Amino acid sequence: MKWKVVSIELSEPLRELPVYVGYAGLHVVFFQHGVPLGHCQLAAAQLPASPQHLANHAAKAITLAAGDYLLEEGFRSALPGLPEPLLKSPSKALRSLIELPNSVQELAQHLPVHPDSPLTVSIAVCSRERPQELARCLASLAELSEHALEVLVIDNAPQSTRTREVVEGFPGVRYVLEPRRGLSAARNTAMAFASGSIIAFVDDDTVVHPNWLARIRQRFVDQEVMVVTGLVLPAELETPAQQIFEHNLHFFHQGYRRRRFDAAYFAAMRNKGVPVWEIGAGANMAIRRRAYELGHRFDTRLGPGVFGGCGEDSEFWYGILAAGGSCVYQPSACVFHYHRRELGELRHLVNQYMQGHVAALLLQFVKYGDIGNLRRLLVRLPAEYAILLLRLIVSGFAIDYRILLRGALGYLAGLRFAFRKPLRA
Amino acid sequence: MWNRKERYHISSVEIGQPLAAIVVPEGYTGIAVVLRLNDRPVGFFMQPGERIGVDELAAATLKHAGKQILSDKLYTGFGGAIEAGRSPSLDVAICTHGRPDALARCLKSLAAIGLPCEGNRVLVIDNAPQDERTASAVKDHPGVHYILEPKPGLDFARNRAILESSGELLAFLDDDVVVDHCWLEGLREAWAINRDAGAFTGPILPFELETTAQVVFERMGGFGKSFERVRFSNTLPESSTYPIGAGLFGAGANMVFRREVLDRLGGFDDALDTGAPLPGGGDLDIFYRIVRAGYPLIREPKLLAYHQHRREYGRLRHQMWTWGLGTMAYVNKSWRQDASYRPAIRRWVWWWLCYQFSKVFVPNLRRNRVRWPWDLVAAEVAGAIVGLCGEYDRSIARIERVRRNLI
Repeated sequence: MKWKVVSIELSEPLRELPVYVGYAGLHVVFFQHGVPLGHCQLAAAQLPASPQHLANHAAKAITLAAGDYLLEEGFRSALPGLPEPLLKSPSKALRSLIELPNSVQELAQHLPVHPDSPLTVSIAVCSRERPQELARCLASLAELSEHALEVLVIDNAPQSTRTREVVEGFPGVRYVLEPRRGLSAARNTAMAFASGSIIAFVDDDTVVHPNWLARIRQRFVDQEVMVVTGLVLPAELETPAQQIFEHNLHFFHQGYRRRRFDAAYFAAMRNKGVPVWEIGAGANMAIRRRAYELGHRFDTRLGPGVFGGCGEDSEFWYGILAAGGSCVYQPSACVFHYHRRELGELRHLVNQYMQGHVAALLLQFVKYGDIGNLRRLLVRLPAEYAILLLRLIVSGFAIDYRILLRGALGYLAGLRFAFRKPLRA
Repeated sequence: MWNRKERYHISSVEIGQPLAAIVVPEGYTGIAVVLRLNDRPVGFFMQPGERIGVDELAAATLKHAGKQILSDKLYTGFGGAIEAGRSPSLDVAICTHGRPDALARCLKSLAAIGLPCEGNRVLVIDNAPQDERTASAVKDHPGVHYILEPKPGLDFARNRAILESSGELLAFLDDDVVVDHCWLEGLREAWAINRDAGAFTGPILPFELETTAQVVFERMGGFGKSFERVRFSNTLPESSTYPIGAGLFGAGANMVFRREVLDRLGGFDDALDTGAPLPGGGDLDIFYRIVRAGYPLIREPKLLAYHQHRREYGRLRHQMWTWGLGTMAYVNKSWRQDASYRPAIRRWVWWWLCYQFSKVFVPNLRRNRVRWPWDLVAAEVAGAIVGLCGEYDRSIARIERVRRNLI
């Protein structure tokens, strides 16, 4: 069951979508002038798709994002945990929707443009013993539509010289060694070494869209924005594990509509538990240097290489929000991620993610005293697992139950974090 | 179990025009609104209350139709709609049994959109009539063909219609529906870009909401009111049990087929939709077989019809019983004839039972978050259990007797 990932640029006339031999179907991502707006899945039986049928698929797939870009009101994304924003003037909102011309060119005029900005960007790729993935990522960085001030590769607690050798093959890329193990340490080192006013992180198992950097940079024009996260699209869906990761687990994909998380949001959600993990993914995020200067750090007790498989990113965002800064999800800044190919790897990853998530909640509670984190940990998460279990039963065990099981075990293992020395000290 | 009498007023709002507040006439307890933009149906909603102001109407329109409106605009912008070109020849068959008034209303709505006319016939299949009323009702409508089918059973009547028809397309309407004025136009547009399709279906809205039973039925979802344009194929990537839940495609009250495809598949299954005691499942079965045979099935929002729901609560409960019965008789048949799909069918039946449970006990998990009256669900589940326990075999035996008696 291989699925092919295909990109379609909507500013060009639609053409017939052919059958791809050997694939069960297509995962089609729609872009307009390089801005991702939506996706759909087309099974092989639905192919070839005529331009008219493709138009129907495209129209349905991009409706919400197009509404977000085209209209003042009515299509704004709700923030996680909060209800849909109320309409200030429903009549006016409806009028502007009805008066929109039937033209896609109109959409192009409303898409974000690149304003001139004096901000400089350092790109940081933290890597550990993944030379092939790193080389692929660095190659994509060379194709960016605008150049970064510098590209840093942080080699985290290496066991060999392979990472250094890869970096030597890319002139202009700086190699930085961080012997302390852990993604958090590597990220902090990157911020310390970077000279740009923005530090943009991408994981080594991604490739970036050519406009990625421009889209990130433009969002930092707003002075209150401390963090920009972006969309993570699947680079390939060749195996069941990759398909489950993309379609069932939703760890990375936060949709095609913009979101802004600010101090008011933090205050509104504080007691319920601020769902910072829904801000984005550490695989694609950028941080204003000023946050580092203000003392924000990735907590070295958390993150891959130290405890669990994630959490250092969302815990960092939590700190930003708690200090009154804003985090913005900017889907137009997109990267393509190579998900784990094997089911075994995926189950392990889910386990690690859950451990990291639990640890981050505990740490957030200890550091900021917000009871909402405990509520999430002790009420919401078990409830979510109960619902997942129910859905598993209702679906007649159509989902891979071992993923669920490993996730639940990860939850328990994550609780160990509460007894770690530095946490209690 | 419903103490309050409910009665909703249905109005149609053209949202391209400036909106006005809606006030229901005396005696109504709620408002139902059909939303249209430039005549194209885009949404439907209902809410209790006697008045809805302009801002509230705008907000409800955005909520229930905003996505559809924008999606339609984008679709047009991408050049999705094309000139309809040549019109297909169409026969419309109305299978009826002892409901001359409803039939006359249906024929009138067809006359309003110019049917019958040159190349497009209207056939009334009078199924096992007990009197002359249907025949005389048809006489008032010039050009409408009257056909007598003595074997009692809806699918006997439908198969008779297939035999009698000669058009490229063959539409089936229930006698208790009326068609919208853009029905024919919608069919032509859908056909223009889907000439390979096996079937076309459309939304079915309430004709009236005059009694509590009708309001309850519609609030629970009715016949499904999606205004999305969909081209179904034999796979739906998001679902592992597709296309067994064939209710997703539409309903037998309003469906159109390419006649050639019906011929090739051997028409409807006489043992389903036999009238009492098994008045259901025939539509689901034909949709399932069409999709499984690899023909696209098209849902077109302009192919809109209005159905007169059961007026009495007792008859609504009986209808839910027959739905459960018919669905499972169809599932039982598919289980037998489509062996490669058995694991999916087993999962679907299990899912269906859990889903019925959720209708009463955990409505929040469901999309429209409406709690069903338990007695309706109980009736549907009871019907389903009887349906699973050999109803299809009993029905085959019954129709054998019907055939023998009449030959």
